Amino acid sequence: MNIDWLAFLIVAVATLVSALFVVGSYGLGVRLLAVAADAPETRRPAYRGLAYLSFAVAAVAVGYGIYLIVPAFH
Amino acid sequence: MDLTFIVALVVVLALFFDFTNGFHDTANAMATPIATGAIKPKTAVALAAVLNLVGAFLSTEVAKTVSGGLIREGEGGIQITPLMIFAGLIGAIVWNMITWLLGLPSSSSHALFGGLIGAAIVGAGFQAVDYGVVVSKVLLPAILAPVIAGTVAYLATKLAYWITKRDESASSPKRGGFRYGQIFSSSLVALAHGTNDAQKTMGVITLVLIAGGFQAAGTGPEFWVILSCALAIAIGTYSGGWRIIRTMGSGLTEVKPAQGFSAESSTASAILASSHLGFALSTTQVASGSVIGSGLGRKGAKVRWDTAGRIGIGWLLTLPAAGAIGALAALIAHLGMVGVVIDAVAGAAVIGLMYIVSKRNQVGHDNAISDVDQAGEIVKIKRKKKRKATAKKRSKQQAELSADGPEPAAAETARVGATKNHEGTDEGAAR
Repeated sequence: MNIDWLAFLIVAVATLVSALFVVGSYGLGVRLLAVAADAPETRRPAYRGLAYLSFAVAAVAVGYGIYLIVPAFH
Repeated sequence: MDLTFIVALVVVLALFFDFTNGFHDTANAMATPIATGAIKPKTAVALAAVLNLVGAFLSTEVAKTVSGGLIREGEGGIQITPLMIFAGLIGAIVWNMITWLLGLPSSSSHALFGGLIGAAIVGAGFQAVDYGVVVSKVLLPAILAPVIAGTVAYLATKLAYWITKRDESASSPKRGGFRYGQIFSSSLVALAHGTNDAQKTMGVITLVLIAGGFQAAGTGPEFWVILSCALAIAIGTYSGGWRIIRTMGSGLTEVKPAQGFSAESSTASAILASSHLGFALSTTQVASGSVIGSGLGRKGAKVRWDTAGRIGIGWLLTLPAAGAIGALAALIAHLGMVGVVIDAVAGAAVIGLMYIVSKRNQVGHDNAISDVDQAGEIVKIKRKKKRKATAKKRSKQQAELSADGPEPAAAETARVGATKNHEGTDEGAAR
């Protein structure tokens, strides 16, 4: 019997890294939006901008994932 | 026996299996966003259907090797006949219908593998199956997939709550923002499902076309096969497996937006990572593992282990049960044309019967997650009413107090503060 343990390990690590990255960056965006709501008027746009940047980072990560699975892109 | 007839029958059956696969697995992507109210139930299944359709066209890599070496084919092995595939598909479909009726999220791919294995054993004996491959490609992933996805979802949920945790002084944690994220994360799961599961049916149809001599060996699926499989899984997804959505959305644990987002991200990551690295984890097992993991990751969330156990038993039974039905169908099919007709009629009868039974206690988009949904609404309405009531009471008291004279203003502010605090924690718990 030939069990490819390395493949399981790679899947586990890839899953962990990508899920935590997406959740982390999106969560940061959610937090920054909440911070922006409480922040003084002058600093609100800055926090909000950072929040949208975090969302964008999450979106790019997801886009990269889709790029990886579609052979037509390679 | 007329080969063309058998091949046509298998194509129809395969497409029907694809359909059952679609509605069986709608829950994987859409149970959690429906449960948290991120997407309306009908919109959710429509979105999942479209993304499954798109996903089916994205990649056909998996379709090229559907049996994945489970059955020893070609030289030194056995010849896969259209009859075997026919019997295997009956096993897979019947088992899919049974688990749907019970509301169990079981793996459609395991049902397909089980059915094919059972039919192959009857057709060519026990040496037809490569048991090493069964263990390494089917059984081991079945154990590891939910564990990996569950662990990742647990950690992701912890991370989501930790990163959005705010001081007591902050107005609110505002974790509702995850609800919008869920629209995207669940879409990603639906897309991944389309690329994964529609291809299994494409593979089966291609296999039977090759076996019947209608297509050259070693070629990929024809365009009409891709198109019809994509449509079948999309229509199946749209019809919605509400029974399984209920189990996944509220049976395992109550899902909050931050949890749902974490669970869906983990599910999508696991499916995409595994299919990219060339071996197929079961979408269903990954999604169930993620939901349980996210339930463990949120403080105060309870995982209903009895439901989880029921699902686990369903998983254990899927391969042998579908195999047994497939074997039985293969035995009958060996009688010749009569057998095939008996199989087809019996299969249709069983499916029809289950459909009738399902009508007795119908689960639809309106009541799939009704418990959670209604509970949520009641709580919200109550809270609003309560708030109004307390506000009224407060102003009344204030009026009385001021009538009594400018008495203890300090006590009044203290009371207001206490109510505010109370409401704050209430809201936090609701999120």
